[in-house]
Parts: sequence; C-alpha cells; structure tokens
Amino acid sequence: METFSLLAQGFAVALTPLNIALLLLGCFSGTLIGALPGLGPVNGVAILIPLTFAFGFDATSSLILLSAVYFGCMYGGRISSILLNIPGDEPAVMTTLDGYPMAQQGRAADALAISGVASFFGATVAVIGLTLFAPMLARMAIYFGPADYFALYILAFVTIGGIAGVDPRKTLLSALIGLMIATAGLDPISGIPRYTFDNYHLYDGVDAIVALVGLFAISEILMLLEKAARDRAAPIGLDSWLPDFRQIWKTRWAVLRGSVVGFVAGVLPGAGASLGSVMSYSMEKQASDKHGTFGKGDPRGVAAPEAGNNAASGGALIPMLSLGVPGSGTTAVMLAMLISLNVQPGPLLFERQPDLVWGLVASLYLGNVALLILNLPMIGLFSRLMMVPTWALMPIVAAVSFVGVFSISNSVFDLELMIIFGVLGYLLRKLDVSLVPLVLGLLLGGDMERNLRRAMSISDGDWGVLMASPISVTLYVLTTAFLGLSVWLALRDRKRQQARVTEG
Amino acid sequence: MTVRLAGVAIFMIAALYTWYGRDYTASFGDVLGPSVFPMIVGIPAMILAASLVVFPSGQVSWPPRDHMLRQVAALAILAGYAWLLLPLGFPLATFGLIAGLGIVLGGAPLKAVALGAVLAPGLWALFDQVLGLPLAVLGRWFG
Repeated sequence: METFSLLAQGFAVALTPLNIALLLLGCFSGTLIGALPGLGPVNGVAILIPLTFAFGFDATSSLILLSAVYFGCMYGGRISSILLNIPGDEPAVMTTLDGYPMAQQGRAADALAISGVASFFGATVAVIGLTLFAPMLARMAIYFGPADYFALYILAFVTIGGIAGVDPRKTLLSALIGLMIATAGLDPISGIPRYTFDNYHLYDGVDAIVALVGLFAISEILMLLEKAARDRAAPIGLDSWLPDFRQIWKTRWAVLRGSVVGFVAGVLPGAGASLGSVMSYSMEKQASDKHGTFGKGDPRGVAAPEAGNNAASGGALIPMLSLGVPGSGTTAVMLAMLISLNVQPGPLLFERQPDLVWGLVASLYLGNVALLILNLPMIGLFSRLMMVPTWALMPIVAAVSFVGVFSISNSVFDLELMIIFGVLGYLLRKLDVSLVPLVLGLLLGGDMERNLRRAMSISDGDWGVLMASPISVTLYVLTTAFLGLSVWLALRDRKRQQARVTEG
Repeated sequence: MTVRLAGVAIFMIAALYTWYGRDYTASFGDVLGPSVFPMIVGIPAMILAASLVVFPSGQVSWPPRDHMLRQVAALAILAGYAWLLLPLGFPLATFGLIAGLGIVLGGAPLKAVALGAVLAPGLWALFDQVLGLPLAVLGRWFG
C-alpha cells in the first residue's frame, strides 16, 4: 500500500496552481500540435523543451508540461486523421483507415467521440500500469552495476530502431553517429578535450537539446519543402459534437484489447506509440472483422488503434523513468530534458525524487480527465485551428525553435549548430536512417562511457568484468537474439523483394 | 548510389574519428583512458559504413531541382536569421524569417509579409514582455 500513499503525495504535488496551469496548457497545446499535420509529439516536445528551461521551471513542472503535451498529441492526432484523412502524427496513421470512412458517412461526431473515449481508456490503463510496474522495475534495477548498465545501453541501441522494415545496419550506424557526437567535449574523467578542434564552444560538448530541435524541427521544414506546395482538401464538417453513446459502448472490447496490446508494445524498448497502434489495429481486425467491415468505417477499427497508441505512449514512460532508457522517440526527447536539468532517471530517481515521479503520475491521471473533457466539446475549435496552412505554421515553428535554442545560451554558435543538425537530420531521413537511435546515442553516450570505465577500474583492466554478472549476460543474450531476429527479418524482406522483381 | 556515397562519407568520418581518437592518452589512475571508447564506437561504425558501400539497401529519391532550390533558399533564410539576429534585433530578424519562409513554403507573398508583420512583434511581446525572456528590440546596428 506504499504505492497509494506515494500517489497521494503525488496528487499534492500535481494540484499546486502552477502545475495545474501547466497541465492544462500542455493538454491544450498538445492536442493542437497532434492535430496539426506536420507537427507530431517528437517535434512538439523538442521545440518546447528549450522554452521550459528559459522560463526556469523545476524538473517536476517541466516534466508535467511535456508529458501533458505528449499525451495531448496522442489525442490530437486522431482529429485530422478522421476529418482530413491526413494523420496528424505518425501513430494516428491507423486511425485514418476506419475513421475517415466513418466521417464520410456522416458519422464524424461518433468517430471523434469513440476515439476520444478510447484514447482516455488506453491512456488510463497505461497510467495505472505505470503506477504499478515502474516502481517494481526500478527496484529490480537497483541491482544493476556499471557493467550491467553498459550492457543495458547496448541492448537499448540495438532495439530502439524496432524490428520490422528498416535495415538494422542503418539503425546501429545511427546510434554510433550519436555516440561519436556524444564524445565531443571535455572527457568526463580525465578532463582532456576530445574532438573539439580547439573551438571553445565545443568544450561543453554538443548540447543535446540544440541537436534535437535541429534534427526534428528544422529537418521537418526541409522535408515539407520537398513536396509540392498545394492546399489541403477541406475537412469534413461537424454538425454537433454529441455522439451516439450506444456506439461507444459497442466498442468496449476493442478498446480493452487495444489498450493491453498497446501498453505491452509501449513498455518494450524500441516499439513506441506507432507500433502500438499498428499492432492493436491488426489484432482487432483478426479478432472481430467477421463481416469485412474493417477499413469501411467500422467503429472498432477507430477504437482499437487509438486505445493502443495512447496506452503505448504511457507504457513508454516506464523504461524511461525506471531504467533511464527510453522506449520511444518522444520519451528519448523527454530524457534529454531531464538530463539537461541534472535529473538522472533510473532506479535512484524513485528514491531520491519521489515528488517528481509521483507528481508526474498523478498529473497524468488528471491530464487524462482534462483531455477527455477538452476533446469532446471543444472538438470544433480544434478542427478549425487545424486548418492553419503549412506555409504559415512552419515559419512559426522555426521562429519558436530559434527563440528556444537562443535562450539556452544566447549564442549564435548554437543557432548554427541547430541548422547543421537540421541538414544532418534531413539527409539521414532521406537515407531511411531513423533519428531516434542517434538521439539516444547522443544522450546516453556519456553515461555509457562512464559506466564502462568505472567497470574497468573496478576490475583493474580485465575485460571479463563486462560478462561477469548474470544480469549483463542475460542482457547480452537478449541483444544477440534481437540482433539475430532483425537481421533475419531484413534478409527475408530482401529476398522477397528480389523474388518480386524477378517475377515482374 | 546515394546510399553508397553516404556509406563512403560516413566511413571517412568514422575513420578520421578513430584516427584522432587513438592519440588521446590516459592520465594515471584511469584504467581505460579517454581513447578506448572512441575506438569501440569508431571501428564498428567504419565496418557498418563499409558494409553499406558494398551492400547498399533502400532507394533514395531526391526532390526535383526547383524543390531543391527552395530547400537551399530556406537554409539560406535560416542561416541568415542566425547571423542577423544580433545585428538586426529580434522583431526585424523574425519578420524576415517568417515572411521569407512563408514565401518559400508556397504562401502568397503579400500574406506571408503580413503574417511576419503581425507575428514578429507579437512573438517579441509574448516572449520578452509576458514570459520574460530577454530579446533585444533593436540590434547592434541600430544602437
């Protein structure tokens, strides 16, 4: 019952006026960021991080704000999926499959309400899971030594790219590029400068936040410029926001299944919300598509992926908080913020800063309720704001990114660095290289090296120490198995493609 | 072809990285020293990049030339903003940024200029006056 008293303490933290205000602000702007095509949770959170620094919020308040934005994005993504047939962010792709047909049939209000309630349910399952499992995982992680952490980081790099679709070499290369960038600056142990090229700006290393804003926000502008500039189709109009509540009740099993599948996908490293919604949708399709109605406006096809992506985004917070290893792109960005505020996530966080952990958890419970209330009656407002054209939206994003980055250190060098990272991010995205492993490498590189060197100091230079504990051996076995699986899948895909080429 | 070229570029960078990292010498008391970790990172990066050169995967389709020109124009505007922010001051530089990017992104020029004219002072008021981030109104060139 210790958890409950801690949670009560968390509500006391969350219910301070500043935190309530930030929570509501985050929920509102998150929904909007999620709804706007071209801005997703990663970009949204990345742009807001420097601003939270600039305003001098403490770590708890910053984390509450950003988590509210993160959760809000998951709610918002579905709005443009349903009304425009354009996913507002990546995890909302699956919602277009049944959501847009429903809207075309004049059931837009139902689709929005079903997905809103499903989002609420999925996110609540995830927060309950976070309450129960995160402390458990943190207690287990207390036994991790430096060598085990080194092994854990390797596992994280191998798994973060996910299993399917991408060339595992590109994922690993992305992580290694991140690690290379992380070594620039003064060596944390001996204090000698590495890869600074006598540029004093680089002595502190590359600021992860500057890199993040460049990689995600600036590269997005370059990606948008590739496409032809044309106006989007007008969204399907809404007569009322009041749905048919019996329709919502009919989707209850889809919501439940979607939530559980999504939650598991979120906790696993490297999956995140996008995979959570894909898995929930395909599971639900297999379970209940008896009459071939999926893809033609089946309410269950809207409920399952929405429950799934919200559950996954909450689940992804568990490894981030309890191990310090994020499970998705957005949680990687949130990790960057915590590290920059000198908060080291991991098992000790739960003992040293219970206010932060439990304040966040309590805020997420509150935020979910706020988001549900915000998302049902105010849907008309969001669907109007969503129509801001790209040519007007992206310059604002650029301006806010510049203000945020400039406010960290008032240096023009950081602005230049941000643009360089924007170009790097664009090139890597063109090459199908995921940026998330790079961010993870940049964030965890310093810690990974410190743990390696600490382990080697303890063993006095004997490399055997890396494989000495059962924990590290288990982690290496998992890493090898995962790597084997993803290489096998990549080779299989390649063979299939070649077969298709020779056939055609 | 693009993947091969990228592989070559990353290989060169990783090789230079490893070459530089070799020389960072250990101080006493530190068993591993500052150069081992760069080796652990640089050598696998070289191997992976080399494997991409030999066995490339995926196709890259570059945008048509006029879109590339727009991308270059956008980068020029972004870089110009970074360099002119201090000389021009926040409102004027931001006006240029918003109007310029708006036009490059395909907005009607008059509308983009109007948007910049409204938002640049608006953002200054929001950040400087309301939220308390100090942003200079007039840059070095004016005072």
